[in-house]
Amino acid sequence: MRDVVIIGAGMIPFGRRDEDTLTDMLAYASLKALDDAGLGDKSVDAVYVGNMGSGILQHQSSIASSLVDRLSLLPAAADTVENGPASGGSAVKNGLLAVASGYYDTVLVVGGEKMREVTGWRATDFVATMTHPEAEYLYGITLPGMAGMFTRLYMEKYGVTREHLLAVSIKNQEMGTLNPYAHVEMALDREGIFDSPHAVVNNPVSADPLHLYDLCPVSDGAAAIVICPLEKAKKMTKPLVRIAGFGQATDTHALQERDDPTDLKAVTLAAQQAFEMAKLKPSDIHVAELHDAFTILEIAESEHVGFFKKGEGGKAAAAGKTRLGGQIPINLSGGLKARGHPVGATGVAQIVDIVFQLRHELPKTRQVKNAQNGLTVNFGGFGNNVLAFVLRRVEQ
Amino acid sequence: MKQKEIAITAYKCKKCGKLHYPFHDRCLACKQREFEKVKPEGNAKLLTYTAIFNLPWGFDQRYLIIGVAEFDNNVKAMGQIKADSIDQLKVGMKVKPSWEPVRVQYGEDVYGLKFEPME
Repeated sequence: MRDVVIIGAGMIPFGRRDEDTLTDMLAYASLKALDDAGLGDKSVDAVYVGNMGSGILQHQSSIASSLVDRLSLLPAAADTVENGPASGGSAVKNGLLAVASGYYDTVLVVGGEKMREVTGWRATDFVATMTHPEAEYLYGITLPGMAGMFTRLYMEKYGVTREHLLAVSIKNQEMGTLNPYAHVEMALDREGIFDSPHAVVNNPVSADPLHLYDLCPVSDGAAAIVICPLEKAKKMTKPLVRIAGFGQATDTHALQERDDPTDLKAVTLAAQQAFEMAKLKPSDIHVAELHDAFTILEIAESEHVGFFKKGEGGKAAAAGKTRLGGQIPINLSGGLKARGHPVGATGVAQIVDIVFQLRHELPKTRQVKNAQNGLTVNFGGFGNNVLAFVLRRVEQ
Repeated sequence: MKQKEIAITAYKCKKCGKLHYPFHDRCLACKQREFEKVKPEGNAKLLTYTAIFNLPWGFDQRYLIIGVAEFDNNVKAMGQIKADSIDQLKVGMKVKPSWEPVRVQYGEDVYGLKFEPME
């Protein structure tokens, strides 16, 4: 297996992008990554596109074929990778394996989703199609609903409180105000969403016990990276970031079949595999992007990947240990909560954000000083298909 | 009106006894393929629940209460909960299962599990 490095990274601002088609967004993000890699007028061997729902949302299929044509990357190999909200992570994995194996040298990986052109009612249904058709979807369950049931159990078992969840939403929305790519650029005030009598209006229950500001927004957006073998990137002047480890694991489709529904086994396994491959441990990580589609997930994942013991993640968030300057800064991009969650884009966007961190390119309000190692977790389904990546800055 | 039979089937592995719902082609624990069909029996215990206020397409109502419950013979399943308020519910309470319309698709009622609090 060859060492694989990220030589280009780019994304477009997430949010509501009525003027752009899905292919527009994928093309804009791809061009930014190609330019960043210095390949603006060059070809690549293959393109992997992470996308969950263009067939449902845009009535458009084969978007990887559409993208290579649009970018004049013909005759590059092109595949669309669908794996629910982990589509982006799965696309990166496919690109990584193709380069590591020696089959391809230069690969573009892009993730994107256009979700805002349908109503919230339709978008909620679209996301719910990843649940079990007869045992779950039939009843009207939604992903926030799954998270609500999970939160109730997690609160009961581990003592997580609404104040712990609140610490995550306040931190991530604050970081979103500092990220020019973020969908939500509005800081939250604890008084307005929790303490005051108006909080019940400002921050209503969405999927009990989760409230509106515990949930990520529905977003449009795209992000891209260019990867190649380390030996072919030595002349690059920008700092290189190596994909030092990855892991992927699955769990039962129906939530009720898990022996302990609060145990996110696929997160634990994916992270363990990634750490083992990278020969690192959780305490070696300087910055992480976790899949906080719901605030509870940032807390639960921070425990399951090994940053904190079970039951300590909520307290750690409330104590500021996951903020910039804390023990392990998490989601300095704003996370899914504020950067947004165009489902197919997320796994790639998390990696782009860690690349910015490891290249030390961010303003000091978001940059972890001298960050060398980063972790991402891309959570598909309700934890039934999870990818983790460990990224390392290459000292040249 | 006569109660409709609860039309879900769980599957008990003939080798290791693990109970599955929904169906798997191989046992989650021992990978064997022979199962005994098991119908859910008795009442149920509520394991977790939520009230959803942002509903998916196909549900034209203000909110929906959904939970997972475990029948007396250990079959676990999701269902809609017949309660006016989530405040009536608590984890571990007894609920009575029934088989009723849970949504309308293409103008037709679709049946599924409902649970009604018994306490």
